[in-house]
Amino acid sequence: MRTIAILEYFDFIRFDIIWNYRELYFRGLLVTIALTAVGYTCGIILGLLFGLGKMSERKWIYYPAKWYVDFFRGTPLLVQILLIHTALIPTLFGHSLGFFVSGSIALMLNSAAYIAEIFRAGIQSLDKGQMEAARSLGMPHGVAMRQIILPQAFRRMVPPLGNELIALLKDSSLVTVIAATDILYAAKVTAGAYFRFWEPYLFAALLYLILTWVCTKVIAYVENRYSTSYIPAKRRRFFMRKHGV
Amino acid sequence: MIEINNLHKYFGDNEVLKGISNKVNEKEVVCIIGPSGSGKSTFLRCMNLLEDVTDGTITIDGQEITAKKTNVPKIRSQVGMVFQHFNLFPHKTALQNIILGPLKVKKMPKEEAEKKGMELLEKVGLVDKAHMYPGSLSGGQKQRVAICRALAMDPKVMLFDEPTSALDPELVGEVLNVMKDLAKDGMTMVVVTHEMNFAREVGDRVIFIDGGYIVEEGDPNELFQNPQSERLQTFLGEILV
Repeated sequence: MRTIAILEYFDFIRFDIIWNYRELYFRGLLVTIALTAVGYTCGIILGLLFGLGKMSERKWIYYPAKWYVDFFRGTPLLVQILLIHTALIPTLFGHSLGFFVSGSIALMLNSAAYIAEIFRAGIQSLDKGQMEAARSLGMPHGVAMRQIILPQAFRRMVPPLGNELIALLKDSSLVTVIAATDILYAAKVTAGAYFRFWEPYLFAALLYLILTWVCTKVIAYVENRYSTSYIPAKRRRFFMRKHGV
Repeated sequence: MIEINNLHKYFGDNEVLKGISNKVNEKEVVCIIGPSGSGKSTFLRCMNLLEDVTDGTITIDGQEITAKKTNVPKIRSQVGMVFQHFNLFPHKTALQNIILGPLKVKKMPKEEAEKKGMELLEKVGLVDKAHMYPGSLSGGQKQRVAICRALAMDPKVMLFDEPTSALDPELVGEVLNVMKDLAKDGMTMVVVTHEMNFAREVGDRVIFIDGGYIVEEGDPNELFQNPQSERLQTFLGEILV
């Protein structure tokens, strides 16, 4: 009863129009999450490759990687989405493959450019002495990379990678221009149906806010988990008993 | 043990080492002194192939390490190196730093490597710091762990690149003591240092490098008391004020 009383007090807000389109919002939520997840995961893999490319001393690897990063960081994501959906994919396949394929490819290619830079900066910011120390112990280059350089670089990369995830999540709303049924699309449909704008767009904003808040929490956890001084208490106790320290 | 023959090193057009020849015997402790920029660190780093040699040869234990087809990682695993700035791996504990080389390069079983690591830490008095990260160790403790890390590979030679230069004055002693013990145990050591007392006490021979050449060398006491060349006289005058 009490709840209804409160809702009546806010009766100038039409909660019902959101409720009527709840399925569309739910679907939108899933699409936004899926687009971001696919774009980000593939973006990381591709970003690592381009990041390595940008550190290469071979010019035929370095320049394509540099051009790639320059292009995707230097042009608007909106333009990239339209180019891929309306030009690239139809040219390659003869017809459209749907918003999800175009959208996730665009998000992937775009985030890969930023992640490449994050990756390069993470490695190049490490003290040169780390590699020298590893090599002086007789580690081959690959082992030194895996054991010494990458674990430290990944730690430095966690905060900027987290920022990139949040930025990508929000930027994924741009895929509405190719009629992707994401959160923003649901809001636009609702707004068009009722000709009311506060409720749908505020609700969409709220959904994005919840998603970014969850991301922030996950990033904070990962950051903490991989900070330098973290040792699981169990392992530490086991070690101390074993060596009588 | 180590034979260096007419060693030249260029950085671009800049000739840093201008033909250095020398010999280090087994169990000998050789200290290298010289003004900064004289090439003494470069000379040391060449012996571990951290710098590639432009011309000349270096032979360690009968093996020419400057030959074209050498297995560089293998040579480095036989030559221990201690750096001025420690270069410990910050994401590994003291013990993990020490056992990483034996585990990954020598493929030693973990149990054995840990046992050996703890023995080394005991030698330098740091058993209680075994599971601490470098970030929570003092400079002197870090350098002692770094020495253990190099020793864990059972090197034939130990190279020290100004091991105490980055330390607070009161922490220098603990590192020098470890190095003295090492010398007593019969380790072959080449030490780039500014610690004249260490050179006098522990060094069998001192080499004075300036401008890319060996200017003077000999018994530490004699060299310090009776420097022949003007350059060494000036150098000693500046640091022994």
